[in-house]
Amino acid sequence: MALRDIKPTRSELISIKRKIKLSERGYNILKMKRDGLILEFFKVLEQAKDSRGEMLNKYQKAAEMIALANTVEGKIGVKAAAFSVKETPEIELRNKNIMGVVVPEIKSSQVKKSLVNRGYGLLGTSSVIDEAAESFEDLVDTIIEAAEIETALKRLLDEIESTKRRVNALEFKVIPELTEAGAFIKMRLDEMEREELFRLKKIKARTSAKARTST
Amino acid sequence: MVETKRGPASYHYVCTRMRVRKSLLIPKEEYLRMLNMSLPEITRSIGETGYKKEIDELATSFSGIDLVEVALSWNLAKEYQRILAITPGALRHFTENYLRSWDIQNVLTILRGKMQGVAAGRIKELMIPAGMKDRAFLDRLLAEETPERVVEALKGRRIHQTLEEGLPEAMETGSFANLENRLYVQFYDELVRDAMSGIKGGRIFLEYIRLEIDVKNIKNLFRLRASGIEEEIRDLMIPGGSFTPRELQVINTTRDRDEFIDLLKKRVHSPPLKSALEGLRKKRPIREIVVELTRIQLDQMERMSKRHPFSICPIFVYLEKKKHEVLNLRAITRGKESHLPAEQIQGYLVM
Repeated sequence: MALRDIKPTRSELISIKRKIKLSERGYNILKMKRDGLILEFFKVLEQAKDSRGEMLNKYQKAAEMIALANTVEGKIGVKAAAFSVKETPEIELRNKNIMGVVVPEIKSSQVKKSLVNRGYGLLGTSSVIDEAAESFEDLVDTIIEAAEIETALKRLLDEIESTKRRVNALEFKVIPELTEAGAFIKMRLDEMEREELFRLKKIKARTSAKARTST
Repeated sequence: MVETKRGPASYHYVCTRMRVRKSLLIPKEEYLRMLNMSLPEITRSIGETGYKKEIDELATSFSGIDLVEVALSWNLAKEYQRILAITPGALRHFTENYLRSWDIQNVLTILRGKMQGVAAGRIKELMIPAGMKDRAFLDRLLAEETPERVVEALKGRRIHQTLEEGLPEAMETGSFANLENRLYVQFYDELVRDAMSGIKGGRIFLEYIRLEIDVKNIKNLFRLRASGIEEEIRDLMIPGGSFTPRELQVINTTRDRDEFIDLLKKRVHSPPLKSALEGLRKKRPIREIVVELTRIQLDQMERMSKRHPFSICPIFVYLEKKKHEVLNLRAITRGKESHLPAEQIQGYLVM
């Protein structure tokens, strides 16, 4: 806000003072929100690290199991068993609120199945297929869990970023500019008051001088 | 009708040929040598051990390890067809019936592929025509549009009725698991009935099949235990062996491992199988148990073939050993491809 655009009036000064008060209150609240979000972010970050590690372990296990299944049953056997699976896992998406940030809550179903519900027959397959299927079911479950945590992390990070921008804008732009404008108006009003006083004094002096010459 | 008129000379001839063929299978030392080779060396070595023709034939359609795997399967299928061609009378009848398990596998793969909407070419890659249904017949099944049409095309075949009865449920639930189990139960039931029908050599065949059923049931019991399944399992067990499905159901509900092993040992007659079960008291990965039981089964079958040198046993032992040669070679190549340690691959070889 350029100072030349400001009207140096009392009402403007009152309005600016109100704005400064509001901005300072908003600044304090946003600063608290930012600090709270950062605390929450670190909590979720720990969970994300754990879930990443778990996901990596499960991926390695699943890769090892599929390699074993390929070794024992051959690619033909593994592919034929894979044809048995028709159902795709169902995912239910809900929202939850962390300090005003809407994050997803993902619930999965039909990922982990028992041996008899996997779609392939017990009598035409071998145990390596069971182990490979089980390890991939575990992996999918962990991926879904990690997706929930990492989306929450990303949303929290976005919110922290925008809150930080708002706090900085208030701290380094809005409030200083308003304070400067308030000071400018105050200075202009004082100057105008002084000018008025001087003018009145000058009029009074002229009036007194005129009266003296007439008497 | 089963042909039983041929004399003992043809039995001697075919059993001797089986023994000769068995002696040409890859020996244990060669597998151990392969385990220390690199993948290209193994592929070259496989090409030099009787699989060259199939590798050359398929080289235009496949490459790398897939080529080796498909060539091994094709060789197995051709070898089984050659065995059928030289097997006479009742032996042929038993062999044909025994090889029908491959038909079940192929038909189920076609049905599943059709239900999932997989292209016929991709399903065809998974076919191993080692059973009674040859490549041309399987191609005809592959050309059908829907699973219902595939089942319709099997009219007049042994598996048709079971397929027709089980297909609606499979289509509704999207799972062929129950149908698959029913087909294999029917398969073993027919093998047992054939063996008991008074055909010459039936008694030995029955002994052989019972051993296979027992080993398969025990393996599956271990699988079910590993998955923590205690519910109704009678439909998942094969009748006709030393245990009835009801007995297996009771054994499966026994949580204590020692008690579980004791119950199995009580009914098992074969001493090597008993001692193998004794070794399973300690908790081990299920895949190791399965390999161990397969080794015992093959060893027992080998003993039976020595006890009955001119019977169905030498043929079946050769069929099984040939199958395991293919499985071993596939395990070595796939294991090497996945960079598994040689010791781990060796653990899965049945030598």
